Amino acid sequence: MANLNIDDVKTRVFDAIVIGSGASGGWAAKEFTEKGLKTLVLERGRDVVHVKDYPTTNLYPYELEHRNEITYADKQTNPIANRCYAYREDTQHFFAKDEEHPYIQEKDFDWIRGYQVGGKSLIWARQTQRWSEYDFEGPARDGFAVDWPIRYHDIDPWYSYVERFVGIAGNKDGLSTLPDGDFLPGYPLNAAEDYFRQSVNQHFKNRHVISARCAHLSDPQPIHLQQGRVKCQHRVLCQRGCPFGGYFSSNASTLPWAQKTGNLTLRPHSVVHSILYDQESGKAKGVKVIDTESLEEIDFFAEVIFVNAAALNTNLILLNSKSDRFPEGLGNDNGLLGKYIAFHNYTARISAEYDGLLEYRTDGRNPAGGGYIPNFRNVDSQETDFLRGWAAAFSANRSQVRDTNGVGDALKNALLDDSKWSNWRIHSHMMAETIPKESNQVWLDASKTDKWGVPLLHISVDYAEDDWQRRKDYYEQMTAMYEAAGFKNIRTSNDSRRPGNDIHEMGGARMGNDAKTSLLNKWNQLHLCKNVYVTDGACMTSTATQNPTLTYMALTARAVDHAVKSLKKGTLLDGKQ
Amino acid sequence: MDLINRRIAIRRLLFIAGGTLLLPACYRKSGKPTIELTHLVIEEEHENLLAELVETIIPSSNTSGGRELLLHLFVLKMVDDCHNPEDQAAFMAGLASFSTYAREKMGMDFITLEPNKRLAFLEEMKEVKDEQIKRFYAITKRRTIQGFVNSKYVMTDLKKYELVPGRYNGYVKMA
Repeated sequence: MANLNIDDVKTRVFDAIVIGSGASGGWAAKEFTEKGLKTLVLERGRDVVHVKDYPTTNLYPYELEHRNEITYADKQTNPIANRCYAYREDTQHFFAKDEEHPYIQEKDFDWIRGYQVGGKSLIWARQTQRWSEYDFEGPARDGFAVDWPIRYHDIDPWYSYVERFVGIAGNKDGLSTLPDGDFLPGYPLNAAEDYFRQSVNQHFKNRHVISARCAHLSDPQPIHLQQGRVKCQHRVLCQRGCPFGGYFSSNASTLPWAQKTGNLTLRPHSVVHSILYDQESGKAKGVKVIDTESLEEIDFFAEVIFVNAAALNTNLILLNSKSDRFPEGLGNDNGLLGKYIAFHNYTARISAEYDGLLEYRTDGRNPAGGGYIPNFRNVDSQETDFLRGWAAAFSANRSQVRDTNGVGDALKNALLDDSKWSNWRIHSHMMAETIPKESNQVWLDASKTDKWGVPLLHISVDYAEDDWQRRKDYYEQMTAMYEAAGFKNIRTSNDSRRPGNDIHEMGGARMGNDAKTSLLNKWNQLHLCKNVYVTDGACMTSTATQNPTLTYMALTARAVDHAVKSLKKGTLLDGKQ
Repeated sequence: MDLINRRIAIRRLLFIAGGTLLLPACYRKSGKPTIELTHLVIEEEHENLLAELVETIIPSSNTSGGRELLLHLFVLKMVDDCHNPEDQAAFMAGLASFSTYAREKMGMDFITLEPNKRLAFLEEMKEVKDEQIKRFYAITKRRTIQGFVNSKYVMTDLKKYELVPGRYNGYVKMA
């Protein structure tokens, strides 16, 4: 660095550094700053200030130039982003563009990224379910991956802690497979969904249809009002950013909260190149950043570093953090960093129609989206020829029917006629667990870099035979449940989506008890460099079937608590508490 | 209306149509289309034909119709920006031969037909053999319907689009 200014070194020293400002990074920022630590949050993308930087949030459909369609040119330029269900004219500014952010697909993989302050917490699907004891016990019982170093009781109070601040709408369903949390009132099922719930209860043992649990303020409490958030207004335009703060995002919640403490320094436009390891002290001393505007290389220093860059970018940063001590990446003596990547299999849908309950329709919009069927497969014991199971989204709706076959006055009248309604249309999609496999992995290219000099990531992740067994079971069981409810025109359809398109990529730096077979210990510290914590998707030992973000946030709050207590006691490098 | 207000008024109309303003119609060089297009090469006469076509698909009555809502410009904008080159080529070829086809079937250019004859002609479009005309008409009709139901006029004057519903009821009794 030619222009190194010695005087500015002290402006680059913090108590804690958090890499990433999405759901888990935002939580790390909130927890550290509340506990009094001067905290630097590094974000590779631009700043997005709550409300101010939501340019489309209050647009009417006719104010969108292409009525919310993406242009042909954009589809050609950004095929990966375009395959995401939430990428539309009103949201496209919150997605990383393919050409600006290349990676190397050894096998087809849609890497969906949100490179801005708030990350993907702005555009997530907001479904939030707790893991159960069965999920944490899964790998040990079924003999895959490695044993989770924690159990449900370790995270239970942290789920509650996070839920109370985030605001989760859900019912107390009393299910051991999907533990209840500290909920705000759930959103109700509609007539047909509720009918299906009753039918499943009547015809099947241990199967349940519940209201989907989601990160929306159905009944805001003082803690939410203090964040400047108010009741969800049922717009269901969430991915534009919500002017009410009706759903949880870092931008609406944790980051402004951290800002209020006076302890937060938020630095956008900061691509992390690597974590700097200090051989003498045996710990990480800081982070090397490339400022994407000035292209300057800048080092920042702290006692503790949290890596929350989103699962695959966290792998990338750790792999690129090479030193004499760790030539293959930080903490990677066992060579497992970047391996055992897993995801959720979303490749199945089943639809139907229902001619009952036609005296009812819905009014307004349901932010939860409808119902949820928790996994019921292989729960107490192994009962199928595949391991683990699947959960399912379930919803029903009626829409206005308009005959567009005519022309002239006949067509015009039909388009303006709001009196005809369809029967109930029934929808479901599968969310299946996948088994982490060593062959599903990421690694750095030896020579190709992005425009900031950071090596490109190779991604080699694929489905396996057992994924199709789970899918077959989903089709068979859901068909039986639909038939029992008297649904007609039942149609299954394979969804050709690529791995990654579920946006639930996990693993690569998994937690475990043994440093020989895992990267992180039970507190999310790197076994071999204990002042570095990983609490985003990269830490996941297995995937379960739940949407994972709530678990990342709970693990993060728990890990910050451990880090701060350990720092105070001077035991951080012991990894004990 | 003074020039500034007139420009604002036209700009607003074109915004509703989803187009980018080139020049107000009365100031433009004759023969050019009203909106800026990237891929389609459209002559004024094509634009006029398209205006009559969208007006026939959705006519004005006691409420506004396709031409007044500038749905022909919306169709052009969407075909220009959101369709692939094959669709665009078929649209252009179909647009060019549409009048010839009308002359064959009805003995006159579409644009000179009486409104009821135009309607009768469109009602027979199912019979058309020419693939390009078929595709041109299908695209035009689909985009006209989309432009109509998503227009500010329909969404605010004729119906009530709710940006902020503030409620959900899953058990509403049908009237």
